[in-house]
Order: sequence, then structure tokens, then C-alpha cells
Amino acid sequence: MAENLKIEGNIREDFGKNAARRLRRSGRVPAVIYGAGSPCTAITFDPRPIARFIHSEAAHTAVLTMELPGTEPARVMLREWQTDPVRGKLLHVDFVRVARDTRLKVKVPIHVTGEPEGVKVQGGIFEFVLREVEVECLPDDIPEHITADVTSLTIGRNLRVAHLPTGENIKVLTDPDRVVAHVVALKAEEEKPAAEGAEAAPEEPELIRKGKAEEEAEAEAGEEAKEKK
Amino acid sequence: MLMPSKVKFRKQQRGRMRGKAWRGSKLSFGDYGLKVMEPGWITARQIEAGRVAIMRFIKRGGKLWIRAFPDKPVTKKPAETRMGKGKGAPEFWVAVVKPGRILFEMEGVSEVDAREALRLASHKLALPTRFVSRTGE
Repeated sequence: MAENLKIEGNIREDFGKNAARRLRRSGRVPAVIYGAGSPCTAITFDPRPIARFIHSEAAHTAVLTMELPGTEPARVMLREWQTDPVRGKLLHVDFVRVARDTRLKVKVPIHVTGEPEGVKVQGGIFEFVLREVEVECLPDDIPEHITADVTSLTIGRNLRVAHLPTGENIKVLTDPDRVVAHVVALKAEEEKPAAEGAEAAPEEPELIRKGKAEEEAEAEAGEEAKEKK
Repeated sequence: MLMPSKVKFRKQQRGRMRGKAWRGSKLSFGDYGLKVMEPGWITARQIEAGRVAIMRFIKRGGKLWIRAFPDKPVTKKPAETRMGKGKGAPEFWVAVVKPGRILFEMEGVSEVDAREALRLASHKLALPTRFVSRTGE
């Protein structure tokens, strides 16, 4: 799907934050493209085709087509992107060129299916701890996501990276012992009476400072050491 | 209520809140979150009220993360006191937040429940907030 996504870029000639801000005001986004032995190039592109796509999980693993004036269309992946923390607008994107015969290290999202037994029967809480794993594979073998069935998980049991079903051509780089998901028992929420909480004045925290007695003792010890010398 | 267990100095100056929250502005643990849209102080009492509102709504099930810690002491002079004679005594604790900061994160509940729980929590705060989710941020 993502392979069909085409990005039309232009070579960027103005640099610095003033130029970048002018560019963003005009509706384009500054970006950089590198990798596959070619030089690093500063570009600009229209973010509209990938605006929604970039917030999806597939953004990490999708191979896109980048068209730059005067060059052959290149297969690229999104390596990193920055967004505005308030508006969520794209600020800058790193594209990496992808060669068909070179193995890549990418982060693949994990999907879980089924309702764990520990939640359904035992009333525990399902915790999804690790949401993506790093894998190494050829660009054509990159899975969109790795799906794991968690139906058999009971309280106290966990799903680890080693248990994830991956293809033959894919090498998982994340520690196989890392927990992906587990079911934990519910802790009883202790609620204090409201009146008690309101009346109790907060105590002051302890000061990380030496007391006078300690300081004097240290000074004395220092003087004695000098006298001995 | 949240407050530091140890501090180096009892009192602090007020400080300024310029810029946006570049750190702590993305969902790191849960699927849904509450994002603060303006700079300001959030008191330990407001955080606790928000937490209680969320936990009462979701009852059993679901997990909550609090992504801001009130580590700044605010002092107050006693009523009817003349000016001078030094800074007042520490009265309460606040977390300094900038626009974009995620305050609460939730997991293990449906989006409808998460929206309602975080809406209730947002009414305990003195700053405008926005609901964010992993899929549609």
C-alpha cells in the first residue's frame, strides 16, 4: 500500500531556522534524504500525502517512492520525524534510501489478538509493555506488523520477544527475554476519606543538607588530621 | 498527595514558563492521554483530584500513569501580615507544565471510557487540555 505513496520533493537551497520557518508557512516541510552510499541531500516536500499516514504504525516500516527533479525515483523509508508538541504538525523528516539487496534494521510494531484468559476469567489487567521490536531483514521482507495471540495468557504469565512468530528471513535484534505483554492481578485501590485528606496538612520533605553537629565533627576531624601530619 | 521526599532547598523562586514541552509530549506507556495546551502550574491537589476522578470512573480494569510530578514548592505569607520579614512558608507543591505536556496516560479501557475518564479529570485542572490517542493524535 505504502509503496504506492509517492512524494514529490524539491532540492532545498535555503538553510537555517528562518528559511525553515518560511518554508513551513508556505505549507512545505524541510527534510533530508540519505543512505545507500549516496550523498546527504536537503529537500522540501508537501506533507499532505503522508500527513495521516505518518501517525499510523505502518509509518515505521513502509517503503515510499521519492521523486526528486533530475534524478531517478528512489525507494525511501521514514527514519525519523519531528512534530510540533501542541499542534501535531510535521516539522522535519529524515528519509533513508533503501537498496533492495541491503539488510535493514527497522522497528516493527507488534499487534496482539484475542482476549487473555487472565482478563476474561481471572479478572486481571492486560499490560502491553513492548509495542515494537527491532528486526533485521531485506526491504522486501519487512512485515507491516507482527501479530501475537495472547488468548492463553493467565495472571502471572507473560509473552516474551522469543515467543513472537516471525518469518524465516527476519532476524529479531531485540533481547529475546524482554517481556512484550503480561497479565497482572488488580490491586485494591485504597481510598482515604475525603475529610481526612483535606485536613491533613502536607508535611515538609526532608532537607538534603548536613546538620550543624555533623559539619562541626567533620571540621574537627579535618583539624586533627592536619595536626598529625 | 504527590510531593518530593527529600529536597535540597525548602523554597524556590517562581521562574518562567517559556516554550513548549518537547519532552514528555508523546504517549509513552498507554493508549490514551490528556495533553495540556497552555503553560501553567498544576498543584499536587489537582493531580490527586484528577487521579481519583479517573479511578472512580474506570472502577476496575485499566491502568493509569501520571506523567507530571509536583516538585516545586510554593510559599505563602500568612493573612494580615505586613510586607517584608522574609519569604513565607511553603504552602503547597506544583508541577510546572508547558503546552504539549502529557499529564495522564491510560491503558486497558475502551476509547469511550478513556475519553470520559479523562474529561472528568480535565475538570479538576486549571488549564485547557486535549484528549490524545495513539492512533489519532
